[in-house]
Amino acid sequence: MAEDKEIKGGIYVNNVEVLRERQKHYYARFFRRFAFLIIVCFLIPLLFVGWGINFYYTRFAKERMTSSFHAQVENHRKIIELFLRQRSSKLQLIAHTHFKEYLGEVSNLARVFEMINLESSSFTDLGVIDGYGRHLAYVGPYDLMDKNYSDAFWFRQVMEKGLYVSDMFMGFRKVPHFIMAVTRQEKGERWILRATIDTEVFRSLVENVRIGKTGEVYLLNRQGVFQTSPRFRGKIMERAPFSAEPVHEGTRIRILEGGTDEQKQRIPRRIVAQTWLTEPRWMLVVTQDYSEAFSEVNHANHATLIFLFLSAIGILIITVIITKHMIEVIKRRDVEADQLNRQLMQAGKLASVGELSAGVAHEINNPLAIILTERQILLDLMGQTPALDGNFREALLESLSQIDVQVQRCKRITQNLLRFSRRTTSVIETVDLNEFIAEVVELMEREAKTSGIKFSPDLEEDLPPILTDPSQLQQVFLNMINNAIDAHEGKSYGSIHISTRSDDNAQGVQVVFADTGAGISDENQEKIFDPFFTTKPVGRGTGLGLSICYSIIKRLGGDIAVQSEEGKGTVFTLFLPYSPPPDLMESINKVAEV
Amino acid sequence: MKGSRILLVDDEVVFTNNMSKLLNNRGYLVTAVNSGDSAIQKLEGEDFDVVVLDLKMPGMDGITTLKEIKKLDLFTETLILTGHGSIDTAMEAIKLGAYDYLTKPCEIDELVAKIEGAWEKKDDEQQKDMQEKIQKVVESPKSAFSLFGKKKSGK
Repeated sequence: MAEDKEIKGGIYVNNVEVLRERQKHYYARFFRRFAFLIIVCFLIPLLFVGWGINFYYTRFAKERMTSSFHAQVENHRKIIELFLRQRSSKLQLIAHTHFKEYLGEVSNLARVFEMINLESSSFTDLGVIDGYGRHLAYVGPYDLMDKNYSDAFWFRQVMEKGLYVSDMFMGFRKVPHFIMAVTRQEKGERWILRATIDTEVFRSLVENVRIGKTGEVYLLNRQGVFQTSPRFRGKIMERAPFSAEPVHEGTRIRILEGGTDEQKQRIPRRIVAQTWLTEPRWMLVVTQDYSEAFSEVNHANHATLIFLFLSAIGILIITVIITKHMIEVIKRRDVEADQLNRQLMQAGKLASVGELSAGVAHEINNPLAIILTERQILLDLMGQTPALDGNFREALLESLSQIDVQVQRCKRITQNLLRFSRRTTSVIETVDLNEFIAEVVELMEREAKTSGIKFSPDLEEDLPPILTDPSQLQQVFLNMINNAIDAHEGKSYGSIHISTRSDDNAQGVQVVFADTGAGISDENQEKIFDPFFTTKPVGRGTGLGLSICYSIIKRLGGDIAVQSEEGKGTVFTLFLPYSPPPDLMESINKVAEV
Repeated sequence: MKGSRILLVDDEVVFTNNMSKLLNNRGYLVTAVNSGDSAIQKLEGEDFDVVVLDLKMPGMDGITTLKEIKKLDLFTETLILTGHGSIDTAMEAIKLGAYDYLTKPCEIDELVAKIEGAWEKKDDEQQKDMQEKIQKVVESPKSAFSLFGKKKSGK
């Protein structure tokens, strides 16, 4: 038997654990799904809006920056062109306002040279050359008087075009320079006024316009040879690692992807603007690292990313908090629903058992009545037969009396069943619970004394009287005390503590029955209000006592709860309202009207 | 009162047989029937002092039978003996004019005591009725013919 119980207990515990585990999984799954949904619902729009704003901002910002870059390059081109045009105009002015004989005099040429360099010393030298390429006069740092340029490329060009600006070349002086030459037709003869532009002045004009830390400006001729030194990767007169663009009008802006050059040096992604000068046909190239050119956009991008990241973290934290809160609320609701369900089940059980009980009681009462009549007939027969053997008579009488005892026992059971079926009539009266308890205690005192149990009442003074059914309440209290006494079986002494406390907030009285008996196991605590559940030996309890108490207290609008520790005792807490529920009053009134 | 005429109405044949024997042993004249319909038929043909009526019967139930008995307007008291613990129904029966009720199973002595009480009540009422009638006859002898025979039962 003991083994059986243990096995059953084990299965029960296992089941409970499996259920708890399942419930845990259920909530965990719910948590994950809910959190995922919230995150998706919040995060996707956030990312979408963030991406959209960033996309449009980047596009507009880049357009604005590119156009400003464009304007800067255009301006620079105009400055360079203006510089060159001014210089060529000066030369043309001098050539057309002075005769060859005059300028052929070195002293005159030197004065003119001095005059044109007054404003800015942008000319390195100045020379007059006849139609055969011979120097007539020269002012400058080099000794070029004996040089003949008749085979020089620039000579042929200027003789052909009238004005010529050369590319950078080394020439006789072996340093990079470029010249500007104009021709004049005088008395049927053409002569040339030729000047070398100060390379340093020109280069500083071109190169010193720097754009940021990574920007560079340089000029390329049509053959792709540097006309000024680029800031990085290359020198004047060197061939550029890339070929020059074909001549085009206006300014072109391109983004060049990064990579590595021949020296395996990393070349970053760059923005490149290219524009062709009108004369000479040099290409002005302005480049800047992409990251620097668009640093503002990059900063904005970073700020957006940080903002998105922080928002996402915020959403995650809020999601976890909200979801946890929701799960808590759901858990609480589940527990409440579970309790309600249990109460409903209990009520349902009681109702169906009630119906059943009424039927069973009736069906049993009839045969019981017959048994009693049969017994009475036998008794009558015995009375009519005086000559009965003494021993036989005694034995028969004993049997008949036992029949009566057992029938009365059955009757008690059926009466209990019928009481349980709620078909008894309620009478509602004003009841002083303290007095009432005192009466019940007095009734039970003798029985308690024989079991060595003391009552210790703790009744609140001035307890307000309540409206209730005293006969039914008496049944409940007697049952409580009976159970408390029975719980002390096997103990030589004990006590039953009964207390009353009014609770104006709850509009009722709390009655507590606390005993020092054997207590109820956790497992049994769930079943004690179930009909026919008993732990008493066979023949001692019907298992209906607490069910009846539960059903009576519920009908009177109250509540009953149990707390118990095995081996220490049990506390039953009853709540009784100041007045019974209106539906009970109504049903009583109806019965009274019949 | 010995010699009282008792009509026992219960669907349990064994019960009515046994109870008839017991009541006969105690000097009552018992007639047993096993349905409400038979009870009414019997009452229409014979006089009874006390009807012992079960509430739960197939066919015409106890309450309907009681109502029918009351319609007959006899000098008969009805005692309810029910196996059904519904006190509400018993109370309803009393409100309808039953003398008292007993729940099954009950001791024969209890039943006899209730029967005696019912007989006394019935007897009182009959006496009172008789006196009223005599009074009326004394006051107006002509009315004697119309007064007697109003109630079927009467000694």
